[in-house]
Amino acid sequence: MNPLPSPINRRNFLVRSAGAGLVLGAPAILRASETPSKTLNLALIGFGKQGKVLFEAMSNIPGIRFQAVCDIWDYNRQAGVAKCYARQKERPNHYVDVDEMLAKEKGLDAAIVATPDFWHAPHTIKCLEAGLHVYCEKMMAHTIEAARDMVRAMERTGKLCQIGHQRRSNPRYRYTLEQLILGHKICGQIVNINAQWNRAINSSQDIGYKENLAIKPEILQKYGFKDMHQFMNWRTYRDLSGGPISDLGAHQIDIFNWFLGTAPNAVFATGGNSHFKDREHFDNVMALFDYDTPQGQVRAFYQVLTTTSAGGGYFESFMGTEATIDISERSAYTNIYRESSAPSWDELVARGFLKKAAASAPAPADGGADAIKSYESAAPEVYQLPGDLNKPPHQPHLENFFAAVRGEAKLNCDARHAFESEAPIYWVNPSALQKERIVLTPEHLSV
Amino acid sequence: MKAEETPTDSLALAYGAITARLWLAVRAIQTGVEKFAGTAVSETAVQIDGQANSYGLTDAAASKSYALANYHGVPAALYEKFSTEPLMPAWGLKIYDKALGPLLLILGFTILLGVASRTSLFALGLLYTSLTWGLILLGEPGNSGVAWLAAHMILIVMALCLVRYDRFRILKKW
Repeated sequence: MNPLPSPINRRNFLVRSAGAGLVLGAPAILRASETPSKTLNLALIGFGKQGKVLFEAMSNIPGIRFQAVCDIWDYNRQAGVAKCYARQKERPNHYVDVDEMLAKEKGLDAAIVATPDFWHAPHTIKCLEAGLHVYCEKMMAHTIEAARDMVRAMERTGKLCQIGHQRRSNPRYRYTLEQLILGHKICGQIVNINAQWNRAINSSQDIGYKENLAIKPEILQKYGFKDMHQFMNWRTYRDLSGGPISDLGAHQIDIFNWFLGTAPNAVFATGGNSHFKDREHFDNVMALFDYDTPQGQVRAFYQVLTTTSAGGGYFESFMGTEATIDISERSAYTNIYRESSAPSWDELVARGFLKKAAASAPAPADGGADAIKSYESAAPEVYQLPGDLNKPPHQPHLENFFAAVRGEAKLNCDARHAFESEAPIYWVNPSALQKERIVLTPEHLSV
Repeated sequence: MKAEETPTDSLALAYGAITARLWLAVRAIQTGVEKFAGTAVSETAVQIDGQANSYGLTDAAASKSYALANYHGVPAALYEKFSTEPLMPAWGLKIYDKALGPLLLILGFTILLGVASRTSLFALGLLYTSLTWGLILLGEPGNSGVAWLAAHMILIVMALCLVRYDRFRILKKW
């Protein structure tokens, strides 16, 4: 299978964009230097909700073996053991404590870390220092300093550390960036970005638990939780996580920085507890980012709502002078709009780069009693990506990690580049709390 | 003067019985069948410039398919919520998850064929009652699901009242 023609190759783009800021697209530590055993022996650290998502995404990947499961909650740990056994007909060893696991387990190649955010850095660093490659869920850490420590540990140990910004390995996103935005430049000049994650109030409620399954208080306290409610709902606590802007926004703001090839130079945010008044974190946050790119200024607006699902779900919209690309992990939210003044895309459609939407029925520009002709722009035509991803969304990113461990690929999102992309997100909550615009300098954004 | 009794329109009552029976049977059978539904996604690589693309983009066409492997009695999102409910024992949830689809199919077919209609309708009523309890347990806003199930219960009661007029049943006992 031949790679697609690329009018601007990726290296040139990255070299060019490096002048505008940090290099956000290319991985630093590229692949494992030694070739581990053909079957990779894995430790699953954290088997809660996200751990299960990753497990399901790995269940179709050949050449991996789950050797150990670690979780402080017996309920999760037993579920992990049972699922591993169902998949591989071999019971993994299981542990409450990561230190004990690392001391006892021999022959591990890599760890999959899906613990609460404030444990990401300690767990990742311990595993890297024990000689394991690590796939760690995003957000890298609950504080920027802990995230910096992760980068330093990766570079000190020389082990691979992939951060779970899974869109970076999603073929739909990679294709959109490399072929449509950089290659064929269908957006023209990107001048604005608009993105959101609007989640229904029903999906944002506190997570409950059964009293008879609760973890003993001494174990909770040993691992940094004041009680079971905090253990189940750590995402709502300031000392344990970054809140919705980190949980949901990080995935999407990462795409801003990745697609633009640079980090923002300022952020201004606002947030509040509109509904969940007892939560430490804001339930709704809106942020504005300013970028200087080789093409010119770009302003990006991002909102995360945990009280309302209306408004189109979750997507990132790259708005250019010639086209707008609405892209999302869900293909249902993905559409491409060609401005009426843009060059024809008929050739791109004929060659298979784009599909014209079958039921494109835009509102007439000059029709309808409610339209004032002089105010109206011609309605854009609607197009779609030529294809889809036929796997769970996290699977390609995990496949990329395993291929890199085997020395067959480069990481798509190593810790250094994840940090450079995540760093601006750490300044959203401070901006909203201080009600001030924060100018982002290298001190804010570098390791 | 004593009011004259209206003669029973037995044909209309028979049609009523059959219609109610059919509706409830179809509702139960198809709901049970849908428990085995899944999505088969295309494995065909998208062609660009006449070549298979190198990104792994596949034809976006996804088709619905049915298979035993797709079975999910309680939808995953609801299962997750139930598993944290103190009044829902874990073993009970597991059994319910396994049994819901087959029960809907069995009861749907017995009602459709008129096998032990009274008992089958009563069992279906119990099953919908259990679903109602689950929705109440989850505190569904607006209780629209509970209201929807209540409409089913009214139909079951009507079907039970009309059973004796139903001439087309395989096993009329029970």
